[in-house]
Amino acid sequence: MMGNDRYNAVVVGAGPAGSTAALMMAKNNLSVALLERGRYPGSKNMTGGTVASMPFRDILPEYWKMEGIPLERRIVSDELWLLDGDSAVRMGFTGRRFGKAPFNKHTILRYKFDGWYANQAVKAGAELICNCLAVDLVYHKTGLMSKKVDGVVLEGGDVIHADVVILAEGAQGSLVQKAGLRKRLKPNEMTLYVKEVLELPAEKIEDRFNLEREEGASIGMVGYPTSPAIGKGGIWTNRDSLSIIVGGYLNQIVGKGLSPLQLLDRYKEHPLVKRLIEGAKPVKYMAHIIPKGGFKKIPTLVDDGIIVAGDAAEMISGSRGMDLAMITGKFAAEAAAQACALDRYGRDVLASYEARIKGSFFYRNMKGHKNAEAYFNRYQDSDFLITKATNDLAYKFFEQNLESDKNNMIKMAEELINMQPLGKTTKDILFGLQNWGVL
Amino acid sequence: MSDFKKSVRDPLEHVRIIPDETPHIFIKDDKICITQCENKPCTYYCPSRVYYWEKDSIKVLYDRCIECGACPYGCPYQNIAWQFPGGGYGVVY
Repeated sequence: MMGNDRYNAVVVGAGPAGSTAALMMAKNNLSVALLERGRYPGSKNMTGGTVASMPFRDILPEYWKMEGIPLERRIVSDELWLLDGDSAVRMGFTGRRFGKAPFNKHTILRYKFDGWYANQAVKAGAELICNCLAVDLVYHKTGLMSKKVDGVVLEGGDVIHADVVILAEGAQGSLVQKAGLRKRLKPNEMTLYVKEVLELPAEKIEDRFNLEREEGASIGMVGYPTSPAIGKGGIWTNRDSLSIIVGGYLNQIVGKGLSPLQLLDRYKEHPLVKRLIEGAKPVKYMAHIIPKGGFKKIPTLVDDGIIVAGDAAEMISGSRGMDLAMITGKFAAEAAAQACALDRYGRDVLASYEARIKGSFFYRNMKGHKNAEAYFNRYQDSDFLITKATNDLAYKFFEQNLESDKNNMIKMAEELINMQPLGKTTKDILFGLQNWGVL
Repeated sequence: MSDFKKSVRDPLEHVRIIPDETPHIFIKDDKICITQCENKPCTYYCPSRVYYWEKDSIKVLYDRCIECGACPYGCPYQNIAWQFPGGGYGVVY
């Protein structure tokens, strides 16, 4: 099965983090094994979602011109809806510049994209091994009291040896836990999302979402989709399908007796959502957790002979995950290449990976948002209150009534103050913006 | 949101699953489900309805699992042992 007994690096998981790492290392002439437990890369993966252009073109410049790349649409329109029972307060932006190279983000479907992306690593010289589940790590003694990770054990007992192991195994992080680098997450430190892909002809998508050919839209929605829990719904336009997702914090789903599947069905029936997906045919159903432990739960990122990247390293900031996976995969590849050049694989050398993460924009974002999870655990009604209040106010604001403007303003102010103290509302909105991925 | 088994469509209509020969999900201690767990949340938070309650125990339909990863964390008693199915088995999106 294996071409070599020993590789410079073995990468566990052929998602955005793993394939990036494998691609960059192979380009640096390292021998790389890229392991995927599924039948093909992307066969077990789910995103909302979009891939951001800026980090991606840092890895593959002008990727959008590459042969066969399964990009869906170029996002030109981004909206956030505060969705209530029969109304929505909408915020959004449409920028046609984002429809032209180098673009801002593209919608993708992981079951198409990941295979293409892993194949770029293969073209660069990495060896992709599918149907391959790594179940443990192997160690090599480096001293009386010390050892380094020196490869992985596959189910059935085969061993693949490598100087560096990069764990990019995704949200579950079972090998990360086995290596003692990550603590078990609590249910309030993760979200659970379900998704459907709904087929709809391209012309209908363009009509309904006010788009030109190739252009795409994304709509994030809070409030109604997951009420009474904190969470989010969303719709993305693909080439000839829509992605619709809904989900929220797992502890709230469990505690409030919510069924994610029923949330999805209820969301699809909302009068303002229904008209967007009318006549679209479900072709896929999927579900996945997202680690939301945040800054306080970032695992140990390196140890002797081992690096952790992507979701396995809980590199999630707001709604961003896939691009951070690519960036951390790239950082990991560079640290591994450096280690191979030095022929030293200890924590001290691989620490350059950790240093680069700590200097990154997303690390600062995660640090800045570190109290959000605690806030949402404590104030599980905050999304609901904001959505309710803004929609009630909007009804008042837009209603053509028989009162003077001044009286209307007073009434609206009273309503807002009667709901809860103004300071709390401000806080709800601030934390909300972080959680919704707007800040 | 109770009793969805009777009212809601089967979510797996459009999902391809190649079940492993042996289960990858286990209930660690059946007694905990009976004596301590009041709401049996696994029967509703699991997105593909792997779990259902029958007579005196939780039944596990591991061949319905789409590997979302939530069940070991969502169980209030950490009573679910979940691991990856064997390489090439399980859900194929």
